[in-house]
Amino acid sequence: MRWRAWQALAAFAGGIVLLAMSGCGSSSSVSTSSGVTPTPTPTPTPVNNTLPVSVNAGPNNNNVNELLASVTICVPGTSTCQTISNVLVDTGSVGLRLLGSAVTLSLPTATTSSASPLGNCATFASNSYAWGPVATADIQLAGETASSVPIQIINASGFPAAPEACSQGGSNTDEATLGATGILGVGLSAQDCGSACTVSTGPAVYFSCPNSGCVPTTATLQQQVQNPVALFAQDNNGLVITLPALDASGDPSASGSLVFGIGTQTDNALSAVQVYTTDAQGNFLVTFNGQTYSNSFLDTGSNGFFLLNANTLGVPTCSVNTSFYCPASTINYTAVTTGTNGVANTIAFSLANANALFNTGNTAFNDIGGPNVGGIDLGLPFFFGRPVYVAIEGASTSGGTGPYWAY
Amino acid sequence: MRIIAAVVLIVWTSTVPARAALGEPHEAVQLDMQRMKGTLVTRQLSGYTVEEIKRPDGAILREFVSPDGKIFGVAWQGMTMPNLTQILGPSAADFQQATAGPHRRGPLSVHVGHLVVETGGHMRDYHVRAYLDNLLPSGVSEDVVQ
Repeated sequence: MRWRAWQALAAFAGGIVLLAMSGCGSSSSVSTSSGVTPTPTPTPTPVNNTLPVSVNAGPNNNNVNELLASVTICVPGTSTCQTISNVLVDTGSVGLRLLGSAVTLSLPTATTSSASPLGNCATFASNSYAWGPVATADIQLAGETASSVPIQIINASGFPAAPEACSQGGSNTDEATLGATGILGVGLSAQDCGSACTVSTGPAVYFSCPNSGCVPTTATLQQQVQNPVALFAQDNNGLVITLPALDASGDPSASGSLVFGIGTQTDNALSAVQVYTTDAQGNFLVTFNGQTYSNSFLDTGSNGFFLLNANTLGVPTCSVNTSFYCPASTINYTAVTTGTNGVANTIAFSLANANALFNTGNTAFNDIGGPNVGGIDLGLPFFFGRPVYVAIEGASTSGGTGPYWAY
Repeated sequence: MRIIAAVVLIVWTSTVPARAALGEPHEAVQLDMQRMKGTLVTRQLSGYTVEEIKRPDGAILREFVSPDGKIFGVAWQGMTMPNLTQILGPSAADFQQATAGPHRRGPLSVHVGHLVVETGGHMRDYHVRAYLDNLLPSGVSEDVVQ
């Protein structure tokens, strides 16, 4: 009960902050001299585009490298809103997904072309899934607003159970299993599935859920769960993630920001960074120890550097938690990241003994990692101490058209 | 109504649990191909055979078969995670026991007995590989399973 009270307080405080911010944005107005025809201005009045984020132990008090933010949702077209804290910020997925148990608003639910409820399935590399209906909400992040956005309500009460084609691995149904109140997917794509789900039911991401049960269906791009940033009224071509540098032994927590837009305001100019474009899946190349891994990516939702395996890296995994490496002492590495545009640069990173770091009680680390299949996953440790720009597919920016990473 | 019934039937058959999986005989590959409604390409390599099933949406399941006809490894690549219970077959229970409890955020690397399961990737591009090290043909590295 004490914890619930704390959570409610945190959500309340978040609401106050957001109100104050939107007040700032709307108070700035353009005045014109009387008798002079105003010059049309191509840029909208700037709004507050900076959302605070933090890295801490999370709502279950047992996580590390968990990047969290507060998200405000509203019944579309109304000022009936709710702020939800402890939402995981994830560049490895797309779309806002909120636990049904955390959503108190009554949101309109989406339907298929045959008027059946539309179900959505998200799967994760941790071999778990999130299942629930697609609903529509206005989303407010800092002073930015996206209207009528399809989102997923995870484990919504009264909605059919996950069909077998979705229930793969562990189910994320509550804070204990999800480790957060929701997921704010702000990756490189505009939708969670994209064109594949407009023509094929094979991916089993969308389901038609009449009373007889849920069956895979196709969904138009507009029906799909959307990257809210792409639907902002402004600053909608991407975002910048800024987190502080850390000590090698980690920090108790860390605070940073999501700055929306790229090159749209004075605080999000592309400066002193290189643009690395990706393929349509959001992958680029990482060359490490003479091998090039083509399915590589950046992911704030992964809590370590994930690469190779114990045999190929020559580093043992931890005895208890084999999903992390436990070298005897810290190892320094370099790798080359290469965009599909050919831009290549060397990055440096370290792997320390994850067990030893976990035992410090700190929650923010720039030097933990574990094995991975398919490519090199530059997780949250990569983001500490360097701004990372995330340009959404098809979006026009001062650094070219997305999708790309820049750092 | 007739059309709806047909659609339901097709979906039902596509989600029937397959018998084909890690540790099963070579013949089981045919069942996976039917289940995935995929196309099969067989490659004979030094010391083992690769059966690659490609689904119409691009998802790929590779099954690695030893000369004595056992599936010693499986690898997946697709927009979503696969159903590991199907793919791991008799080893699925060991895997589920080893991964019980709160979910981690990030890829899994599970070693339990002779079973190794590794996952990775992100939304729209997931990768999985699994093998049984006691079924690896002599002279064949686990690195081929990918």
